[in-house]
Amino acid sequence: MKKTLSRISLFTGKINRRTLQIFLALLTLALLALGAGAPGVDGGFGGI
Amino acid sequence: MILLLAVAAGLLAGLARAGIKKKPYREPELSWLWLVILAVAPQLLAFHISATAGWFSDRWASAILVASQLALLGFVWVNRRLTGMKILGLGLVLNLLVISLNNGLMPLTPQTAGALFPELPASTWVTGLRPGRSKNIILPLSETRLAFLSDTILLPAWFPWTRALSAGDLLIALGIFWLLAVEAPLDPVPDQAGNEPSHQS
Repeated sequence: MKKTLSRISLFTGKINRRTLQIFLALLTLALLALGAGAPGVDGGFGGI
Repeated sequence: MILLLAVAAGLLAGLARAGIKKKPYREPELSWLWLVILAVAPQLLAFHISATAGWFSDRWASAILVASQLALLGFVWVNRRLTGMKILGLGLVLNLLVISLNNGLMPLTPQTAGALFPELPASTWVTGLRPGRSKNIILPLSETRLAFLSDTILLPAWFPWTRALSAGDLLIALGIFWLLAVEAPLDPVPDQAGNEPSHQS
């Protein structure tokens, strides 16, 4: 039982870490796209 | 928004590639992630968050845009071993070049602005106007330096988000797609005991 629990905890730990790493990379790339790009009528253009 | 589609499309293509090869998907290996957050945060305040965008004059907003893109160029340089980052970096340089030469904002001709907002009268688009809190400045073609690098590429009318793009924007989108779809390494399949072999990209 203990062994199973420790395996489950190891598995979820790995999943969470991996998911977090992918999420962080995606967030960074999204921010990079937002900051580097300058498409017309981006940002608060709706205010006109 | 339009550039965020490249992130979504790149991720989907990368996951499909991992699925075909039956290997777990892994994020591209990037260094100095904190620099992106540090560089883009002032832009978010000056351009994207409506509650704070009003704090910044046009002059400050343009200074923030140039400084922020210079800092992003530093991030690109640190990660230049990746092909996608080289493509993205070229796009960023092109955008930064045309922005720097045109009062620190991305030029948009009155004609293009009129095509984006046909419901508004042509007299709305006076030279030097920064429409809303955008990164754009209205400049006639004759007064735009490096006009071919400005927001001149109009997306088709059927596209859900009507936007004008620059050549730099297209390269940025392609670079991001490449990073997520092609360059993201796939994890080696763990052995039967669950041990992961050392990573090989």
